[in-house]
Amino acid sequence: MPAKSAETYCVIVADSDVLIRNSLAEYLRACGYQVIEAASSDEVVTVARAGSHALGAILADIELPGTIGAFELRSWVRSQMVGVDVHLAGTVSKAAKAAGELCEEGPHLKRPYDPQSVVEFIKRLQARTSKPE
Amino acid sequence: MGAQAILLVEDEILIRILVADLLRDAGYEVAEAASGEDGLRLLESGGDFDLLMTDIKMPGALDGLALATHWKNLFPGRPVLVSSGHLTADRMHPADELIVKPYSDARLLATVERLIGPPCQPRAPRLTA
Repeated sequence: MPAKSAETYCVIVADSDVLIRNSLAEYLRACGYQVIEAASSDEVVTVARAGSHALGAILADIELPGTIGAFELRSWVRSQMVGVDVHLAGTVSKAAKAAGELCEEGPHLKRPYDPQSVVEFIKRLQARTSKPE
Repeated sequence: MGAQAILLVEDEILIRILVADLLRDAGYEVAEAASGEDGLRLLESGGDFDLLMTDIKMPGALDGLALATHWKNLFPGRPVLVSSGHLTADRMHPADELIVKPYSDARLLATVERLIGPPCQPRAPRLTA
């Protein structure tokens, strides 16, 4: 995988759960990425079509709501946007693991938090709001 | 003292990105929410913010003014900035300030700075709750 530049490499975090989305985005920003937060597949498509950001990767919940599902979104991205990696995750742990792998790839060498700490943080937040994962 | 944190609630993603980037580039911390319900969930999860900036008309059961009412209960005295293309100043209770769309970057930053001051140094990472 080519080296990633914080100036040119943008990651979309797509998840309908604001607590998960917000935490993963903060984690990736601390790694040096420019991060866009999307709550649905429609928002991902809107951002992609706007063309205002150099997208490098999309980290999406496998049950992402929207006009198209996560798998269809991945197919659409692959057909429309060369070189954009799409990571689908079905659990918070897998999403954090994918985010951790992105952090390991760059643009900064250091990782600010262990991915497992992100998972635990999200679960604590979810417990406070008494909403199921 | 750390950077002031702003809860930004806006359902139009391209507007949300532009505003969030602008505020972050200026030095503020920004948490983004795509709906009133998302904003409330961030507040209920223990989020501690210095300013609520919210759109008024959003999908779902909780519009910007209803969210602002929750905010005022949780954070009495902390300001609310509403952005709208429709609202008039005499109907914006419980908001403290109205910024009418479309607005310039300079106007938004000046408004935010008037409400919570210029950006300070970054806070320590928040991932410690």
